[in-house]
Amino acid sequence: MAAFEYRQAEEIRDAFARRGVRYLFIGKSGAILLGFPDTTQDADVFVERGPENGAALVAGIRELGFDLTDFQAAEILRGKDFVQLKNGPFDLDLVFAPDGIERFSEAWARRIEVEGFPVCHPDDIIASKAATNRVKDRESLPRLRAFRDYWAQHRRSEAGARNGDRSH
Amino acid sequence: MPAMEPAGTSQELQAWHDEFEAAARRPLRLRMRYAFIKTYRPVLDDEPFRAFDRMADYRAWCETALPSWLGYGRV
Repeated sequence: MAAFEYRQAEEIRDAFARRGVRYLFIGKSGAILLGFPDTTQDADVFVERGPENGAALVAGIRELGFDLTDFQAAEILRGKDFVQLKNGPFDLDLVFAPDGIERFSEAWARRIEVEGFPVCHPDDIIASKAATNRVKDRESLPRLRAFRDYWAQHRRSEAGARNGDRSH
Repeated sequence: MPAMEPAGTSQELQAWHDEFEAAARRPLRLRMRYAFIKTYRPVLDDEPFRAFDRMADYRAWCETALPSWLGYGRV
């Protein structure tokens, strides 16, 4: 299997949008979408738990080409906290209860849109990685925090420039 | 609450900042081409589907089933 590509992220975005799936890119894949220069293997999505969203998610995943059995689809619908899919065109992790984030609705309210991709706010990505406290996350967190500061500063500058344009 | 990791040194911070600036000049499509890689991870990549009731179950499985050098164990 080849590495995850921009085209496949577009396919997720478009398939999930057609089905009305509520989700956010999270983890390092989310950070990369925000501009964080680093490497990863998997795409991680934080999915809102619930029967309707679960059914839409399963339909969307099948549309993307994942070979889900009925048992596996039922496992997703049952509301597991974490599902790892390696039976499709790319690897995809479904996270329903990420460490460090209380509620999907709160993360959704803070989301960032990048080229139509819904992405967790960097603070949520950091909170999740910090709470997980894995060796690999602990190594990458200082650089990710530095990126968050850089990203926030640029966002403020861009917003200031836009406001300046409007005032002229 | 896990202990806070040390922040980077000023040299590291400058190097990271330069990397962020360079990345910001690239289109997302190109950034993703550089970012997503594929290498075989023993055990982790050996099953087409896994589901865990609780995140704690998944974390415990990572610690017991995966080779420690993959970095999925807790600090």
